[in-house]
Amino acid sequence: MDVFLPWRQPSWRVGRRRMRLPADFRWLLAAFVLLYVLNEANGQKKGSPRDLTCTTNNLQVWDCTWKAPVGTGHGTIYKVCIEDRLRSCHQIEKANIKIPALSPGDHEITINSLHDFESSLSTFILNEKNVSLIPDTPEILNLSADFSTSTLHLEWTDKGSGLPHHSHVVWEIKVMRKDSMELVELVTYNTTLNGRDVVHRWSWASDMPLECAAHHVSIRCYIDSPHFSGPKEWSNWSPVKSISWTPDSQTKVFPQDNVILVGSDITFCCLSQEKVLVAQIGSKNCPLIHLDGENVAIKIHNISVSEDSGTNVIFTTEESIYGTVIFAGYPPDVPQKLNCETHDLEKIVCSWNPGRPTALVGPRSTNYILFESFSGKYVTFKNAEVPTNESYLVSFEMIPNQEIYNFTLNAHNPLGQSESTIVVNITEKVFPHPPTSFRVKDINSKAVTLFWRLSGNFAKINLLCQIKINKANSKQELRNVTIKGLKNSSYRVAVDKLNPYTVYTFRIRCSSETYWKWSKWSSEKQHLTTEAIPSKGPDTWREWSSDGKNLIIYWKPLSINEANGKILSYNVSCSSDEETQSLSEIPDPQHKAEIRLDKNDYIISVVAKNSVGSSPPSKIASMEIPNDGLRVEQVVGMGRRILLSWHPDPNMTCDYVIKWCNSSRSEPCLMDWKKVPFNSTEAIIESDQFRPGIRYRFFLYGCRNQGYQLLRSIVGYIEELAPIVAPNFTVEDTSADSILVKWEDIPVEELRGFLRGYLFYFEKGERDTSKVRGLESGRSDIKVKNITDISQKTLRIADLQGKTSYHLVLRAYTDGGLGPEKSMFVVTKENSVGLIIAILIPVAVAVIIGVVTSILCYRKREWIKETFYPDIPNPENCKALQFQKSVCEGNSALKTLEMNPCTPNNVEVLETRSALPKIEDTEIVSPVAERPLDSCDVEPENHVAVSYCPPIIEEEISNPAVDEAGGTSQVIYIDVQSMYQPQAKPEEDQEIDPIVGAGYKPQMRLPINSTVEETAAVDDIDKTAGYRPQANVNTWKLVSPDSPRSTDSNSEIVSFGSPCSINSRQFLIPPKDEDSPKSNGGGWSFSNFFQNKPND
Amino acid sequence: MDLRAGDSWGMLACLCTVLWHLPAVPALNRTGDPGPGPSIQKTYDLTRYLEHQLRSLAGTYLNYLGPPFNEPDFNPPRLGAETLPRATVNLEVWRSLNDKLRLTQNYEAYSHLLCYLRGLNRQAATAELRRSLAHFCTSLQGLLGSIAGVMAALGYPLPQPLPGTEPIWSPGPAPSDFLQKMDDFWLLKELQTWLWRSAKDFNRLKKKMQPPAAAVTLHLEAHGF
Repeated sequence: MDVFLPWRQPSWRVGRRRMRLPADFRWLLAAFVLLYVLNEANGQKKGSPRDLTCTTNNLQVWDCTWKAPVGTGHGTIYKVCIEDRLRSCHQIEKANIKIPALSPGDHEITINSLHDFESSLSTFILNEKNVSLIPDTPEILNLSADFSTSTLHLEWTDKGSGLPHHSHVVWEIKVMRKDSMELVELVTYNTTLNGRDVVHRWSWASDMPLECAAHHVSIRCYIDSPHFSGPKEWSNWSPVKSISWTPDSQTKVFPQDNVILVGSDITFCCLSQEKVLVAQIGSKNCPLIHLDGENVAIKIHNISVSEDSGTNVIFTTEESIYGTVIFAGYPPDVPQKLNCETHDLEKIVCSWNPGRPTALVGPRSTNYILFESFSGKYVTFKNAEVPTNESYLVSFEMIPNQEIYNFTLNAHNPLGQSESTIVVNITEKVFPHPPTSFRVKDINSKAVTLFWRLSGNFAKINLLCQIKINKANSKQELRNVTIKGLKNSSYRVAVDKLNPYTVYTFRIRCSSETYWKWSKWSSEKQHLTTEAIPSKGPDTWREWSSDGKNLIIYWKPLSINEANGKILSYNVSCSSDEETQSLSEIPDPQHKAEIRLDKNDYIISVVAKNSVGSSPPSKIASMEIPNDGLRVEQVVGMGRRILLSWHPDPNMTCDYVIKWCNSSRSEPCLMDWKKVPFNSTEAIIESDQFRPGIRYRFFLYGCRNQGYQLLRSIVGYIEELAPIVAPNFTVEDTSADSILVKWEDIPVEELRGFLRGYLFYFEKGERDTSKVRGLESGRSDIKVKNITDISQKTLRIADLQGKTSYHLVLRAYTDGGLGPEKSMFVVTKENSVGLIIAILIPVAVAVIIGVVTSILCYRKREWIKETFYPDIPNPENCKALQFQKSVCEGNSALKTLEMNPCTPNNVEVLETRSALPKIEDTEIVSPVAERPLDSCDVEPENHVAVSYCPPIIEEEISNPAVDEAGGTSQVIYIDVQSMYQPQAKPEEDQEIDPIVGAGYKPQMRLPINSTVEETAAVDDIDKTAGYRPQANVNTWKLVSPDSPRSTDSNSEIVSFGSPCSINSRQFLIPPKDEDSPKSNGGGWSFSNFFQNKPND
Repeated sequence: MDLRAGDSWGMLACLCTVLWHLPAVPALNRTGDPGPGPSIQKTYDLTRYLEHQLRSLAGTYLNYLGPPFNEPDFNPPRLGAETLPRATVNLEVWRSLNDKLRLTQNYEAYSHLLCYLRGLNRQAATAELRRSLAHFCTSLQGLLGSIAGVMAALGYPLPQPLPGTEPIWSPGPAPSDFLQKMDDFWLLKELQTWLWRSAKDFNRLKKKMQPPAAAVTLHLEAHGF
């Protein structure tokens, strides 16, 4: 709007000038003013040209327009004058004028409009800054679509010829979709004008198939001219150009059969006349995007790799089903491990690994082109069938005279391509085919020729071939040969240094001399070389027969290497100074000959013959030089070997011979022999025939003056074993204290080693008891004698006991161990003198003791009497005891003892013995006692020294419970003065004895029952409230001899049938049967047996 | 495919040989000419065997086509496969067919289907699939020969393809991979329907042709039946 302001000001100025015109007449002033106002008002209404605006579209012509005065119409003529260097005026009929671009700065423009003879004039100031640059609306030349790639191609021209050079032009392109013109893309595109009309092209790839919906494109531009100072504006949008798919009858879903990269996003659409119900890719449903009409689309993000037949996309309608297949895969990986080599210098075989699988098969799989840049030739390889984990191979025909090849392997599939290159000198990459037609031909017994064929054109290179030679029982040998290459030809090479008459296996393989790879081995060929004469004579030895008349000649068969063929026969001859005697030919399997010879010296000669010829003779002298004073030595081997050594003897002129044989064999004995060079001093004898535990004899012969002398004779074992038998032994003599044993030798075969001694064991023992006990248990009662003197054959065992059985064992031993044992039982003879002495001495001692005792007792009889049998006072002297005469006669009218004052007899204790018993009144033996010793063990403590005491009236009350607890069978008379404590109780009663025996006990308080019979005992107390024997009658039942109580029941036992002795400490009156305590236990008891017997 | 190829080949070759020479085997000619009964029986047996064989082939092939073709409830409309011979026929029409027409329709149908099947074999992408298809093609060829044998035994001429009509049978490439898959699907489906129908046809024919006293039955014994 600012641009209009300068133009209005002149317009107002023009207006003010017109106001000064009617100022002359005063009276007409009012009318004039009125008229003027009206006129002015009218002039304002109709007015002059106004709102001059100018634009340009090419910077060269300005297009100016203005608004015509009001009321003017057709017929108005404008006179436009531009004040520039040359005032130019234009008369035009429209309110529009195109003027050339004015120079920078203000320019006055007057526009005079003439209409109906009225004119109005307007003046405007025009500047370039007020002119807008608005380019012409661009026009799309062409809009095309590539439906297969969903790409739109747009073409338009910039019309640059009419615009200043080097102006930048910005194009804005908008792409709209669907009928509703949804904007899907708005992009800018920059160009520069170059003074010519340039057609610009722009392509746009749609994310949705172009078939899915109509696509519309429009374009506008903006010229950024640096030399133009006025405002610049966008042009108008060009007319819209549209592209839409013309549906055919077949295809309804897009895109069809596309190949895309795994992980891409893709949109599928379905053009349908009916409503699409479901869309799915594979088995997965997808949300629908609605397009125009019933058309729909689905968008798949990050598509996963397809199966071989592609991924199916299905649109389902009520009536039908539409679909497409998409192949999601990868572009080909860079071919890996590309390698080119030739088998025959005619074709080059290139191999490579395809790398990552593309997941595209069939027509979409990767195609390879192997291009050789020097020759410009190429071969193709279609990967349709080969599994991807194997190498691909392609063959390229070699170019004549070209050795260097620069290969480029190009891999391409619908998703892309990759390549890999390699440069090879093909003569260095020769990997020949395996040689064929391989055969062997003899040259002589030590050389053959090998022939083979190798396909290929190797004329320009040398071949390196390797021959593998295998021989039985030998290490394989590889020999390399270099030969000149040929074209498809046979080759030959000689192989020497072979052994005659030997089976060889040959194989061959080849490579180029500049080694790259060996070919595979040819087939195997076995070949037997021809025979040659034996290289040496057989190893010979001779033995005189046992009668000394015949010489037996032995020889060993030649080894394969020495025989050089099949040995057919041997020739043996003997020669002396006078004559030469030759035996007939001896055929091969026989390796000994016997010649009758006298005692002259002969030289025996043995020759081996094969089909080619005879070996050099082997000679041996028949003479045996005697050697006296030889002693037999012993030797034991190590492992399976025996080492023999000897002192060097300068007299020996030819080889030593060691022969050996099994010692048990008869003469002439020969197992084998071995020759040792004459300067040796030792030899190791080894043989597979050696066995452990077998004794062998070895003979060392020295060779002197063509005669052999026995130097050493040795017996030995490879390994010593323990004897397998025990020595046979017998008892030669037996006495009361010794045994003489004699044994025999063990045969050598059973000894199995050198005898080192015998072990003799003996012990006391019966045949039945000791034979099981082992000897090696280290028992102290076994005595062992080790006899190391193996010549000793007898042994006397002394210091034995008479009439005793002894167990004797004898074993032999070697360094190999102990042999089995042989045992025997021997009883020594009886020693009668000792027996007599043993009887007489005790008898004599007993007699002497008896005599001495008798003498002593006689001499001390007075003392003994006073001590043991003092005079007993007469109780009748006591007035208190006025018994009737027949006191002991069972009178029922007994007089009660009156406890009148009575002077008791004084009991004078003559001697007190506190510990040791003195009375031997316990010698009563239980009728059933079998072992007096048993009671003896216990009884000594039961013997107490008791003096008689009349009953003391004073009663000492003791604890009844304790009494009962201690109620055993004891009847205790206590020494009044000493209060002696009897000890005749078993151990368990020791605790209560002090109470029980604490002083005198009235007879009424004596324990009457055992603890277990306490209740019954109470009744018994009542019954027997009168006199009671001084004993627990219950104990009478305790008569079982095996009962523990029987051991201390002497006092009880004596109660049976006891008389009423006053000075006895036993029961005076045995109770009657009916009053006698019965066994409460009810069981059988020994006492019952006795007591019930009278009643029976 | 549970059947080992070697077993099936050997069995099939034996079977075809037996069928081919069946009319010439004197032991079977009880009265000089045993009639078409044994041939029909053998053709029937072969039809049942092919049904079994097709089951495993279809499983493999539909898996190759991918979902939803291998889904059990997939039942698309018949698109594009218009040239395939249709096995479905109105029951009354089927009953009213005479023997010659019945056999001719079978022969023509299998001739066409075999052509399609060979096309299928050419397009298969994996070697294993091609082996299976080739095996089935051979079996189908055997069935075709067997039908021809029956027709010959009954004295019916083989239908001669009119000159110029054969190219219609040979399937051209479908306009798109999807339609090709649909064709393949329908080919297998029609093949299965035809085998069902043929079993009924031959059973009907067998009952009709077989004189009760002259029944000679050779049972096909094969693994997996």
